Amino acid sequence: MGCQLIYMKKMFLLMAAAAAAWPWDLAAKEKPEVTTEWLALVHYRPQMFGGYEGTIDSESFYLAEDGRTNPVSELQASIKLFEEAKDKEKICLFPARYQYLKKQGWVNADYPKCEEYQQFVKDLHPAGVTLLFTDAYMNNPSSLFGHTLVRIDTGRKGTQLLAHGMNYGAFTGPNPGALYAVLGLTGGYYGGFTVKPYYDTINTYNNIENRDIWELNLDLTQEEQEMFVAHLWEIGHTQTRYYFFSQNCSYMLLEMLDAVRPSLQLADEFPVQAIPLDTLKAVYRKPGLVKSVNYRPSRHAKIINQYKQMNESQKKAFVAAIKEQNYNFDGLDGAEKAGAAEAAYQYVQYQQVAGDLELSDYRQRSFKLLMARNNIKVKDNFNPLTNGEKPMNAHESKRLVVGAGVRNGQAFQEIQVRPAYHSLTDNGYGLLSGAEINFLNLKMRHYDNEDKYVLQDFDILGIKSLSPVNDMFMPYSYNIQWGINREINPESGDEGYVSNLVVGGGFTFEPWENTYWFVMLNNHAAYGGFLPHNQYLGLGAAVGMFADWGKWRVLAQAEQIWATTNYGCKIKYNAEVSYALAKDWALAAEYKYEQNRGKYDVDEGMLGLRYYF
Amino acid sequence: MKKTVLASLLCGAMLVSSNASAIDSTGCGLGSMAWRGQQGRVPQILAATTNTSFGTQTFGITFGTSGCDPNGRITGGTQKMVLAFIENNMEQYAMDAAKGEGETIDTLAGILNVDSKTLGEKSQQNFAYIFSSENVDAVSVTVALFEVMKA
Repeated sequence: MGCQLIYMKKMFLLMAAAAAAWPWDLAAKEKPEVTTEWLALVHYRPQMFGGYEGTIDSESFYLAEDGRTNPVSELQASIKLFEEAKDKEKICLFPARYQYLKKQGWVNADYPKCEEYQQFVKDLHPAGVTLLFTDAYMNNPSSLFGHTLVRIDTGRKGTQLLAHGMNYGAFTGPNPGALYAVLGLTGGYYGGFTVKPYYDTINTYNNIENRDIWELNLDLTQEEQEMFVAHLWEIGHTQTRYYFFSQNCSYMLLEMLDAVRPSLQLADEFPVQAIPLDTLKAVYRKPGLVKSVNYRPSRHAKIINQYKQMNESQKKAFVAAIKEQNYNFDGLDGAEKAGAAEAAYQYVQYQQVAGDLELSDYRQRSFKLLMARNNIKVKDNFNPLTNGEKPMNAHESKRLVVGAGVRNGQAFQEIQVRPAYHSLTDNGYGLLSGAEINFLNLKMRHYDNEDKYVLQDFDILGIKSLSPVNDMFMPYSYNIQWGINREINPESGDEGYVSNLVVGGGFTFEPWENTYWFVMLNNHAAYGGFLPHNQYLGLGAAVGMFADWGKWRVLAQAEQIWATTNYGCKIKYNAEVSYALAKDWALAAEYKYEQNRGKYDVDEGMLGLRYYF
Repeated sequence: MKKTVLASLLCGAMLVSSNASAIDSTGCGLGSMAWRGQQGRVPQILAATTNTSFGTQTFGITFGTSGCDPNGRITGGTQKMVLAFIENNMEQYAMDAAKGEGETIDTLAGILNVDSKTLGEKSQQNFAYIFSSENVDAVSVTVALFEVMKA
């Protein structure tokens, strides 16, 4: 609804702008006027109380004095710049504006020879535009929600490895330090574009961070492609304040796409938050925008894929190679040997990046495996990993839960709202398995017997990463929960609010596929006037299991907590079962039991309907 | 306002550190960094994180933070392009050469304007020549590859 309003306002302003008297009498077919194309090209956004403002912060991006807020004078100044044809340096910064104005017939002058720009286009050798999405990266907080960037496809002979990746990011400088978080969130950094060969991009994501890359090839016309590159040059010279949630990597790319095809109006869909995965979905769903999708698995995913296809003897030889550096691969046929050597080689590369190998060991092992592979003249026995679960088809990020239950004999009804992003018991299709990120989950309840409405929980942040340990990988699992919760005092039975922070780590095992068992050691810190001594610290030992059986999901955990006050000492049992009814609908049952040292245990069950939107 | 409200809520989770030395190694790619003697450790991984570009520019042209080419672009003549490619993709090319096929073979064949099957076969047959020891560098690999292709 908000979007519709903005659109109407835009139409009104357009009409108003068109009605404004034009100062020059140009010989063009039509008088220059502010169009949707012009607004998109200069990144004007309608403002809350009317009028426009350009997103781009660099003053040099605006040619008119009041250009940032006045699309009309900016249009006049742009036409003047090209028609006067005096300031070549400046003209060469705006090839996209020129292309547009020339096409409209509002500029007749020729475009000069701009050497730098021409070299840029020559190096890129553009032949298409692809939107890239990289999976969430649980080892870095700023990458939890995934990331998007753009590839300018190349027309060079060879492969798309010779294309270029365009990344929009914040320039943090070499030593961002502790202020990084605050500055990244509040616009303390400037964002800008960087250009890298695509093979560099692949190395970064697939091979260093072990994240899958999804490539969405866009169906742009020749003219739109040229416009995209020209426009990239224009805003490549500018900078804009970077906001982690709103004006971030993904949002800027949407404005870029709007600039070459204004009818998309992609940026309008993200007035508040631009979660990378959500922007990917928006692009994917635009009719006629995406022509094909390609998947590039991470190195980690490739190794797992190969390992899963190995028979027992190949597995044994592979493990002997990576654990004991035994590169004989005895008892295997040629194809199996080739496969085991290739997988072991990839594993050595993985170890090197992880910092688990000395350089000399790394070189020695790599080289021996290469020689072993080179001695075999047949192909490996693996099917390559060519497809995965499409993140575009994952459930929507916002969640609404309506439920009813009983807490210590009191019936209640509950409403939960969560703006982002995914719980373990939500449908995990297309998302990183074993990972959860809950952000600002708000639970309101109505208790029947006292007929009161209460804020039950406000879970500000919840992150869980369960990554299984196996023959090859020894990752840590971790858990961070921060929220404000309504609790019962075990002695008095009174209820009040406590702010809880839990940070813990441990290990996960996967004895059967998609069934995880985990053990964790959690640090607890609680604070609040309601607590007997205003605060307590605790240490919890937790064991739990998480199972993902398609539509059914189960999460259960038991935790013993030792704390500095009696209040905090307890044993907590939690269980959740969910059943996916459709992509964006699920039923969930939750049960929790808390055994403490007082008279009032907590015994609570709830049945809820989850809707994702 | 919406920005700061949302923003101020996640501060606690966003801490990350980095290292200045990371610029060069990630920019120049993984293979080169390993084979050249810089080890991939935490700084590289952090440096590679996505929502951040490591640049010291405060204003002006923001293109180009790739450590190898000042513009961060694929440019120059055939030899320069082959060298830059091998520098950045050495570990992948090494395995593809050992196998005689793969994406890096197809790419190099494109740059050199030769048939990719031929390049694959020649790389495989002359693997021990191109990768003469575990301490080869990108320059010697490139030179050897050119020799092999000329032969």
